[in-house]
Amino acid sequence: MIKKLFLFILPCVFIAASCNQGPKVAETTKADTVTMAVKSFIDSAGKHVEKPVRIEGTVLHTCKHGGKRMFLADGSDSITVEVTTGANIAKFDESLIGSRVKLLGVLKEERVDAKYLNEWEAQVKKDAADHTTGLHTATKGHEDQGAKETLDQINSLRDDLKKSGKNHLSFYSIEAISFSVLK
Amino acid sequence: MERKTLRRWNNAIHRDLGYFFFGMTIIYALSGIILNHFKSGDFVHPDFSKKYEQLTVALPANAVADKAYALRVLKQVHEEKHFKSFITGNGYIDIFFNNGSLYVDLTNGKAELETKTPRYILKEFNLLHYNSIKKGFTWFSDAYAVAMVLLAITGLFILRGRNGIKWRGAVLALIGIIIPALIIIFYA
Repeated sequence: MIKKLFLFILPCVFIAASCNQGPKVAETTKADTVTMAVKSFIDSAGKHVEKPVRIEGTVLHTCKHGGKRMFLADGSDSITVEVTTGANIAKFDESLIGSRVKLLGVLKEERVDAKYLNEWEAQVKKDAADHTTGLHTATKGHEDQGAKETLDQINSLRDDLKKSGKNHLSFYSIEAISFSVLK
Repeated sequence: MERKTLRRWNNAIHRDLGYFFFGMTIIYALSGIILNHFKSGDFVHPDFSKKYEQLTVALPANAVADKAYALRVLKQVHEEKHFKSFITGNGYIDIFFNNGSLYVDLTNGKAELETKTPRYILKEFNLLHYNSIKKGFTWFSDAYAVAMVLLAITGLFILRGRNGIKWRGAVLALIGIIIPALIIIFYA
C-alpha cells in the first residue's frame, strides 16, 4: 500500500515543482522602456544601464554552446549588439540567424579592468576549452578560437584600456525578457 | 530489518526508479553522445548538421552589394525563394536564407555555401541536457541525478553470490572507477 502511494505521490511532487517556478520578472512600464537602435547602441548604452530597453535587428550569430547568446546587427556588421537569454527564454535557436527580431530586455554593463584581464589570461593559459569566461564577439569562428587568438584578444583589450585613460572598459549587452520574429 | 526485506526494497527501488527514469536516461544518453562529440570537435553544431560548399559567384555591378545582388547570387544556388536577409561587412556580404547562408568575398567572388539540417528530437534532447529551460526542470533533473546514484548503489546488490558484489560485481565496479581515475591522473 505504501509502495503504491509512493509511486503515485512522487510524480505529482515533480509536476507540482515544475509549475510556476523561476524568478519573478520585474514589471516594466511603457514609460520606463527606452527604444534603442543597433547603429546608435554603443553611443547611448551608457545612459540606460539596468533599464528596460526595446531594440530591433537582424540576428547575425547565435552561440552554439547552448544558445545562451545572440548578436544583432542592422545592415552591416560594423556594430553588433550582444543579447543574452533571461529567465524566461530557454535559448536562441540557430534557425533565428538571418531573421529580423524585436526584443524587450534589460541593458547590462560588463566592466573590464586590468584585474579582469589578468584573471581571464590566467584562465586561458590554464584551460583553453572553457567557453564561459571572457568576452564573446559575433565574429565568424570566435567560438573556435584557440588560446593564442584569445590571448591576442586580451592584449588588444589591454591596449584599448590604456588608450581610454580610464580604469575600465565598458561592454554593454541586453538580457532579453521576450522577443518576437518579424515577418 | 531482515536481509530478505532489505533485498526486496533494494530491488523494488532499483526497478521502479529504472522504469520511472527510463525516458530521462535515453534523453541524457543520446544527447550526451552528441554533446561529447561536439565538444571533441567531431562536428560543428550539436543541433544542426551542416554542409559546406565552395563556389565562385559574379561580383556585383558597380561594387554595390544590395538585395538585388543577394537575390541574383542566391539564384545561382537555387535558394532565391528562401531569402531572409543579408549583412555587409568589410569586403564581404553574408546572405541568409532558410536553413543556410552564403558568404561572398567581394574582392574575388569566392563564396562559401552553408546548408544546415536540424537534428530533430536530438535538438530538444540537447535543450534538456543543457538545462536551458531552467525553472522546475532544474529540480526534476536534480532528482534524476539522485536517482542515478540510487540506481548505481542498488544495482550493486541485485544479484547474490559470485556474480553479485562479492566477486564479479566488485571487480567490474573497481575497474569502472580506476579507468576515469587514471584518465584524470594522466590527462587533467
